[in-house]
Amino acid sequence: MSAEQANVEKALYGRGKVAGVYPSLSNRPDEAYIEFIEDARNILLHAQQRPIGQYSEQLMREADMSMAPDPASTAAARDFLMRDPTLKTYYRLKRSLQESFWNALSGSFNRRREAILDALEAAEAEGPGTLAYDKEGARPVPDYATKEIHIQPGGYANEPLAGLYYDYGLKVFLGGAADFDRLSKGVAMATAMPDDGKVERILDLGVSAGATSIALKEKYPDAEVWGIDISAPMVRYAHVRAQQAGVELHLRQMPAEELDFPDNHFDAVLAMLLFHELPVPVAKEVIAEVLRVLRPGGKFTVLDFSGDRSRGVYNMFFAEMDAADNGEPYLTEYVRSNVEDLLVEAGFELESYDPATALMRGRVAVKPLA
Amino acid sequence: MAKVDDEKLAYTKDLPGASPNDPVYFENEVIDHLLGIVLELGAQQWVLRDRLAFLEEQLAANGSVSLEELDQGRPSEALQKRLDEERQDMIYKVYGRLYKRIGGDKAKAAAAIMG
Repeated sequence: MSAEQANVEKALYGRGKVAGVYPSLSNRPDEAYIEFIEDARNILLHAQQRPIGQYSEQLMREADMSMAPDPASTAAARDFLMRDPTLKTYYRLKRSLQESFWNALSGSFNRRREAILDALEAAEAEGPGTLAYDKEGARPVPDYATKEIHIQPGGYANEPLAGLYYDYGLKVFLGGAADFDRLSKGVAMATAMPDDGKVERILDLGVSAGATSIALKEKYPDAEVWGIDISAPMVRYAHVRAQQAGVELHLRQMPAEELDFPDNHFDAVLAMLLFHELPVPVAKEVIAEVLRVLRPGGKFTVLDFSGDRSRGVYNMFFAEMDAADNGEPYLTEYVRSNVEDLLVEAGFELESYDPATALMRGRVAVKPLA
Repeated sequence: MAKVDDEKLAYTKDLPGASPNDPVYFENEVIDHLLGIVLELGAQQWVLRDRLAFLEEQLAANGSVSLEELDQGRPSEALQKRLDEERQDMIYKVYGRLYKRIGGDKAKAAAAIMG
């Protein structure tokens, strides 16, 4: 083990890895606190989604409210439902638990902030794989990408530890569904490849902590896997994640709407939970760029939430509450854009899409052969 | 960095969620604060309970324990399993009543639905 790797091991994984992949928190009390919050989320939020949804729809039917997902009906649903004490409680707990885990995670990693930053720096020159980002901060990240998405402290782009916060935060947010990179392995399985079977280069857009790119490289070891993200802290952390997994990734800080790759370069492109974090004008630019860099017959897999065509008013209300209070400023317009329409408008052929499996099987779009 | 015109995106600054907010859900914000306080107290109480159980395990096994071990170590697999069960029981017992009128007090703990 090189001195740089030993530095990373000590600074990030000094107390071992949690759930197989996450950097350990700084001490046992921090860990016990987070275990409480994760369980509280699973019991007081995730487990309540169905009863809360059924209860809300029953209240609305009894009050003869419109069940259509249009903006006016959604606004009326919000005014009506948020008078109910059980719904007030659910949303209060949701917000408080979100604040609690971010405070705890950022507090815990900041106990050893300098050591982690030194380790991230030292890891840059080490392989496997390559890393490039705007080290001097010469090109500012566009304003839309600086928001505190999910109310993550400092947002994705401006907090040097954002990759660690995000990775562990996703574990807690999903209540363990992403542990041992199970979620990413499923995403790699769902990522569509060209019908001719030729897979030389794969691009992962909005790579964040790198878990999906790692899973793609493990599934397609002979392919080059490139991961890009608009955030430097994310690609820096993803590089360490890939080193830990022993896989070769090529990570670049790059906006997905301005891909620095040649035309017809990739066989497959993945966007996992990216589009709902983009304003629609940016989403259209991204789709145009993907169409350019994919080769004819190449496939674009978009794993993200369903659009409003397949939602009732309660699901729109749920999304709008998330948009307002969970730092998801672009979620509502994303849902209303029905991104499969944007893909077709840009020139893709939509190969498959079932709203019921939008997150795990996604929309698969093909670049036409001619 | 991006070619998308920032001017074109000026509207994004005003979208709900674009800036950190501090939502109040109840008619009296004291109720919001009280629920937050009760959650935080539950979490803090759990941290103490976890530490006590870990301390007892260490003392029973070794007769002594260092502060370093209490801070940096972890409970055995068997104790962790017991703590996982006790923590869930505690959350149901203390907070489950908040959802009793919709039957949520008996809803089975679940990870996020990614279907």
